[in-house]
Amino acid sequence: MSVLPPFALHRPSTITEALEALSFDDMPLGGGTELLLAMRMRMLRPDSLVNIKNIPELHTLEIDGDHLVIGGAVTHQTAAEHPLVVDQLPILRRVLLEVGNPRIRASGTLAGNLIFAEPKSDVIPILLALDATVTLVSSRGPRNMTIDELILGPYYAAREPDELLSEIRIPLGRVLRAVYLKYQTMERPTVGVAALDHDSDGDVVRRVVIGAATELPVRHDFSPGEPIEGKSIAETMEIVPDIAGSERYKRHVVAIYVDRALAALDREERA
Amino acid sequence: MTAETSIEIRPVVNGMSHTSIVKPRVTVAEYLRDYLGLTGTKTSCEVEVCGVCSVIVDGLPVSGCAALAADLDGKTVTTVEGLATGDTLSHLQQAFIETFATQCGFCTPGFLVMGTALLAANPQPSRDDVMEYLEGNICRCTGYRPIIEAVLLAAERMAAPQ
Repeated sequence: MSVLPPFALHRPSTITEALEALSFDDMPLGGGTELLLAMRMRMLRPDSLVNIKNIPELHTLEIDGDHLVIGGAVTHQTAAEHPLVVDQLPILRRVLLEVGNPRIRASGTLAGNLIFAEPKSDVIPILLALDATVTLVSSRGPRNMTIDELILGPYYAAREPDELLSEIRIPLGRVLRAVYLKYQTMERPTVGVAALDHDSDGDVVRRVVIGAATELPVRHDFSPGEPIEGKSIAETMEIVPDIAGSERYKRHVVAIYVDRALAALDREERA
Repeated sequence: MTAETSIEIRPVVNGMSHTSIVKPRVTVAEYLRDYLGLTGTKTSCEVEVCGVCSVIVDGLPVSGCAALAADLDGKTVTTVEGLATGDTLSHLQQAFIETFATQCGFCTPGFLVMGTALLAANPQPSRDDVMEYLEGNICRCTGYRPIIEAVLLAAERMAAPQ
């Protein structure tokens, strides 16, 4: 039994107040499903936490033009149950309902999942596949970036210490059909495959994003008619061996799950 | 805005209002056990995997090991101690007895709390629904089957006309 290290707590009620509080020795606290565990293990020792849960602006979930906007404090469960997500992005709902366990989904946030840059995230591959972008805000002004630009490595995101991930924007109306298939024996996936067909100026582009098996998710886009084989994709990947399996084993599982995801995608009527 | 090092909270726990002053580092599980003496909520893995610290906060399941007591201000909390009504066990608690869903008992409070949260959200769960919802709770004695049976039995009884 271990306790959390001591820290002070800021409880802002606006983004402006939160940004005033955030500096090099602090961290934003969302669901805490990753941060508090890392603190308990003494991997992170912030002087203070800035609790962003009670900032109404960060609980936005709305349509803005042709994008769905998800605020920085929206939990997996809230997003999964929201009518806009149910109607417009059913694939995102399906993935969010597979995250962790019901307690993780009720507390954990999509933004926190991105910022923690967990290599075995379910959320990062699907947001990457959906061409999501994020906004990081600070007293220096906002920065917009893609998921590629945000996720730099395992547990390493491009957030500066004074920045807050205020919103995630997902373009709507492009995905024709989508699936997410994962293999998981412990708390986190061995491999997760997001596969989707999307409309790119009249052409149907097939995209495959493979998460959890490598340090960073791997994305491939295929033109119409181009053959796709799990085995050849898996052979090019820098698989990370870990508690979920050896490199050889995981390469095999990746190849099978890519093929299964593509077969499932072919059976899918629409997104 | 200044950072606080001690925080006054006023949660309602199992129907009783409390006023407490906690340090930010105090978790929900520590608060319930050490401040309120509600030791039905256990701690074990402390990384939100095993489920023994599960409690319900404003209707949502929460891992008490990874949530801050400071966040309980104004919240309604249900722990395993709050499931029975006086001496009358809840349907789920009674079903646990009848299906022999308890052996050593350490995981039982977490399963009861999560089972209660599931039945509140989904009063008629399928066997798969139960298995999925309880995937974040570990039992090393029963093999899970009697626990799943207990949740299904409770659901059946709760649906029956009283």
